[in-house]
Amino acid sequence: MGVKLAVKMINLDPRAKIVIVLCLSTLAVFFNTPGLLLIVLIITLLLLQIFQVKYISLIYKFRRLLPVLFVLLFIQSAFTGHGQVLVAFGDVHILTTGGVSSASCVLLRMLILFGSAMIIATSNSRDYVLALVELKIPYEIAFMVLIALRFLPVFVQEAKDTLIAIQLRGVDMQKVAWGKKIKVFTYIFSPLVSNVLLKANQLAISMEARGFRLYPRRTYLRVLKYNSLDYLITILSLSITLVVLTLSIIR
Amino acid sequence: MIFMKMVQVGFSYPGQKKPLLNDINFSIHKEGITALTGPNGVGKTTLSKLMVGILAPSTGHITLKGQNMSSMALAQIGRLVGYVFQNPEKQLFCPTVSEEIGFGLQNLELPEHEVQRLVKENLAYFELEHLAQNFPLQLSEGEKRRLAIAAVLVLEPELLVLDEPTTGLDAYRKHLLGECLLKLVASKRGVFMISHDSNFIDRYASRILILENGRLKENGC
Repeated sequence: MGVKLAVKMINLDPRAKIVIVLCLSTLAVFFNTPGLLLIVLIITLLLLQIFQVKYISLIYKFRRLLPVLFVLLFIQSAFTGHGQVLVAFGDVHILTTGGVSSASCVLLRMLILFGSAMIIATSNSRDYVLALVELKIPYEIAFMVLIALRFLPVFVQEAKDTLIAIQLRGVDMQKVAWGKKIKVFTYIFSPLVSNVLLKANQLAISMEARGFRLYPRRTYLRVLKYNSLDYLITILSLSITLVVLTLSIIR
Repeated sequence: MIFMKMVQVGFSYPGQKKPLLNDINFSIHKEGITALTGPNGVGKTTLSKLMVGILAPSTGHITLKGQNMSSMALAQIGRLVGYVFQNPEKQLFCPTVSEEIGFGLQNLELPEHEVQRLVKENLAYFELEHLAQNFPLQLSEGEKRRLAIAAVLVLEPELLVLDEPTTGLDAYRKHLLGECLLKLVASKRGVFMISHDSNFIDRYASRILILENGRLKENGC
């Protein structure tokens, strides 16, 4: 039963997935209290569970953000006057309930946004191009989005390789001073930009050579079909989001 | 004295069920030219990356001058082992050809005039003088490879690891590279190269290793 549901959900039309993600991110941006954001996060995690996405690693990766959140916690406590003072140093508020609430909201919001983005990753990037085309976005623009997604990991790998090459030529990244570290990062930037331009040029030539935009219309090997489950999910997601937003505004 | 030693080294990439490399045992002395050959996709480049610490073995360990490589920083390994990538573009990052050759020397805190002298010497040897102020990534494939080799060789590593060094080189420059490797060997340094170029291997290698089905075999020559 669970497996069948997961398969059905994974095979949802990409447009339906885009609607789910839009609804979740709208609520994440709109709500400003930890309680409501926590409810949205729980819904996001439940959806990830249904889509059979392993999200534990995502939560684990967020540990790296903890120092930033702590800084935010103290800045919010010191500079915004709202909330009850929990810790104070003379007249300076070190920790307030307002600061704790703001920092929690930031963390929860980020988890919701990243979690909902993981739902997007359950479909093939090529299907999103088709979805965008179906949504009347010009194929050229949709194709550019696909290319950006396709080349992102390649550029990340290239940057990593350059960093390795720099270290193998005697720069110990653990020991160099911050000034030199920044200079090292500029070395990564220049081949990256050059490669982006070079690859874009080669890709354009290759596409032109294979008849890209030769005729105003093009045929697609795969055609997306919006079935009853897609309609149901879309209507349900939009209705719940609209009701919740309306209730929040009225209240 | 053994310079580098691999002991029961195994390696698998994340998500890979069957290990790519299995029970690899071999030693490298700082002498002669060792060639590694084998079919495509068998793990030759992976093995070379393990040799310079870019990848860490899944099982077993590697020692460099008696020290476990896992405890060494890439910069420390880079002082002893020079590595020329299969795709030279990956290791070119400076704005000009001469800066590319001088980058490693500057990290050694050599005096400026010494850096200039070594840069000029290497530009001349690899016939890159006329390109000294060019942007490295706009050179031809052969020129990029020569530059990548020059940038590593100038640091005089004790062992030089080259991944497919003859790709894109014409016959004359292959000869030039071979002579350069022999000079290195004569100055008590070792060379380890991955190659499919059987003519080049036959001419210059003193030891041939064959990697097949994740295991290493030695072929005396």
